[in-house]
Amino acid sequence: MNAHHRLLWIALSALAFLAWTSPISAQIGPAAPPPHSAHPTPTPQSLAEGKALFEGTCAGCHGIDGSGANGPNIRGVGKDLGPEGIYSVIYGGGAIGSGMPAFSSLGEQKIWLLVNYVSSFGEPGGGAATGDPAKGKEVYDASGCSNCHMIGSQGGDSGPDLSQIGGVRSVGFLHDALLDPGANLPQSDASLQERTSYPSYTMYRVVMKDGKVIEGMRLDEDSFTLQLRDAKGQLHSINKLDASKIEVLPDKSFMPSYKDKLTETQLNDLVAYLASLGAGR
Amino acid sequence: MKTSRQRWILCGFALLALVLGSRAQSWAQDVTYDEILHSASHPQDWLTYGGNYASQRFSELKQVNTENVKDLKIQWVYQLKHQGIFESSPIVADGIMYVTEPPTTVTALDVRTGKPIWRWSAPLPPNLLTIGLFPTNRGVAILDDTVYVATIDAHLVALDAKTGAVKWTSEIGKNSQSVAITQAPLAIDGKIIVGMGGGEGGLRGYIDAYDAKDGHRLWRLYTIPTTGEPGVETWEGDSYKYGGATTWNTGAYDPETNTLFWGTGNPAPDWNGDARKGDNLYSCSLLAIDADTGKMKWYFQFSPHETHDWDAAEPPILIDAKIDGKMRKLVVQADRNAFYYVLDRETGKFIAGKAYAKQTWAQGLDANGRPIELPNNQPTTKGNLIYPSITGSVNWTSSSYSPLTGLVYVDTREQGAYYFKGHPEMEPNNPHDIGGGGGQKAVLGDAAYSAIRALDATTGERKWQFKMVGDSWTGTLVTAGNLVFCADAGGNFFALNAETGEPLWHIQLGNSVRANPITYEVDGKQYVEAAAGNSVFVFSLP
Repeated sequence: MNAHHRLLWIALSALAFLAWTSPISAQIGPAAPPPHSAHPTPTPQSLAEGKALFEGTCAGCHGIDGSGANGPNIRGVGKDLGPEGIYSVIYGGGAIGSGMPAFSSLGEQKIWLLVNYVSSFGEPGGGAATGDPAKGKEVYDASGCSNCHMIGSQGGDSGPDLSQIGGVRSVGFLHDALLDPGANLPQSDASLQERTSYPSYTMYRVVMKDGKVIEGMRLDEDSFTLQLRDAKGQLHSINKLDASKIEVLPDKSFMPSYKDKLTETQLNDLVAYLASLGAGR
Repeated sequence: MKTSRQRWILCGFALLALVLGSRAQSWAQDVTYDEILHSASHPQDWLTYGGNYASQRFSELKQVNTENVKDLKIQWVYQLKHQGIFESSPIVADGIMYVTEPPTTVTALDVRTGKPIWRWSAPLPPNLLTIGLFPTNRGVAILDDTVYVATIDAHLVALDAKTGAVKWTSEIGKNSQSVAITQAPLAIDGKIIVGMGGGEGGLRGYIDAYDAKDGHRLWRLYTIPTTGEPGVETWEGDSYKYGGATTWNTGAYDPETNTLFWGTGNPAPDWNGDARKGDNLYSCSLLAIDADTGKMKWYFQFSPHETHDWDAAEPPILIDAKIDGKMRKLVVQADRNAFYYVLDRETGKFIAGKAYAKQTWAQGLDANGRPIELPNNQPTTKGNLIYPSITGSVNWTSSSYSPLTGLVYVDTREQGAYYFKGHPEMEPNNPHDIGGGGGQKAVLGDAAYSAIRALDATTGERKWQFKMVGDSWTGTLVTAGNLVFCADAGGNFFALNAETGEPLWHIQLGNSVRANPITYEVDGKQYVEAAAGNSVFVFSLP
């Protein structure tokens, strides 16, 4: 397009453009989808088509199984957003800065194929709890979990907040983490794009150049600093250049193992209770 | 007591300073080709994306050096008016910094204060297509009195450097067919060179030259041959028609031989190469192009029949250095596929190559530089762990080269990924059926890290490294003050000793630096710029 035609195009589209958005940055934000057909019931055939479309279109960012790659884990979004919610995100794209483009050009038929396939992922990580959540709450209360963990506004804050844990962790992960917490440290908040997704709650032992020794779990780290919290809850902000030795203590955690403290039934009940938290997020 | 001769010299310097000062304060905005050509002797400005035509990101400025860098302080901060992924490397000319805000806004800043002088935003369609890339912009080009920007919806726009007024606009490609551009154009003598992106949308890649005065297209070079052309046999069936090989990052230019050096992206679909058997020329290659005609002089393919998304879009670096005691004209590239390459830039002949990061896909390189591939290095339906990950050992960020140390500084990523093979779902020129043909699940955790690696420019041998926590997306700048500037994923902008890698200074900027830093000089003072989060930070000595 030459300059004249380009300017003409700009002029002709100005009204529509202004109606579309102001300020200009909203152009890359989510756009509400126009009226579209009703949510179709998935069939084996449509799920297979959706799978093929997903693998060709979405898997590069969201992983082949939806568990995330460069983009976030989207397993469980069926429950979170519902079909119309997923349709809106695919149609209009993710939030500004999320990097997810709008796929409105797929057309509603293919968007629905994707909606149904993505919804079929089910729970993050898959699997269903077999225990009794009500009894699991009793186990939770009796085992001192709330000394370190918060649910709602109740409990301590040295461990992860569990208010929504059922919506973000699989049953298998919760089960394994109770038996061997050090080997199943959770990843840090994936929404913090500036930080790589490294395990939180990793235990460190640091020897400072003045001989002082600090042991604690990692709250944050970059190339020059390390933030630890010790067993007493004390924060330590460490300049790495002032340390003579920085050592990771693998498979260690402040959280004790419940391997020999709970029966299998109690463990399953506790997992079922945790899995029920935030399941409707 | 000063002699008469010394007084005259001092007067001369004072006059020169006055002339330079008044020139800057008057905002002349007239950057001739000759000035860009001799940018090494004009280090107070930063006139091209790569700092000079050789794309070395080396500055002769040395006021800030290994002794005093610890005293660097923030002088001003500019906060973007348009939020998003900010990856812009500014141009600085005659007292003005031209920075681009996502998705395509050009802002001219008073380089002394950071105050905006003018701002221009590209009008974009509501159904903008950005497939396989972030809607961002990495910078502008400048020539004479005009600033050139390539828009995310694939137009080349010429703006008056003084006012931001549009002089002309040319369409580079159809965004409705997924052509999208994030790169800074390259201005050479009377021409604006620009490539394109969007290779996951079923495209055939190309690179264009436009007349700097009126924007008409002078030539187009397709990066995939068509029927009857040599190389088309490296694509099975008609897969050449939509095989990608885009040209999405800024290249280098050798004025002596009038040759452009430009990298190409992956063949499409990415992770499933079943329907495109063959080497898939000229994807994942470095192209040497006659700047007058657009004819390809030679090519060198880093990753034949690529299936891991390892584009060769990293900016190549032109250097002159001794090989076996003889001065040679070289082009070097730390590739996304984890190998560092040294080529003769006149012939494209392979001279040396070596892995600079962990890789598990090739045994090494043969005498011609072709990878000797290992078995089982392909994506599978169940996932196959291969190093590096799809973002590669380096991605779009620039490496730098110091002629003082003879080292190339690479912001390296160490990370593997499980590669999955899916269905290609690729149709010719049809963005509605974009096809990646699979995907990856990157290995996360502390095992994934970044490092600044200093490589011998002529061999690729590692001299030192500075390890970083997290996934750095910054690129390096090196100066005659023997400093390498870069940043980690955690928001630390820092300076290293270019000879040893020793950290000498760092500052926490509160967000990651996703853009190549630059340096320049105003009123006799050297400044260093870094773009962190959605802000431009500028530093100098007190």
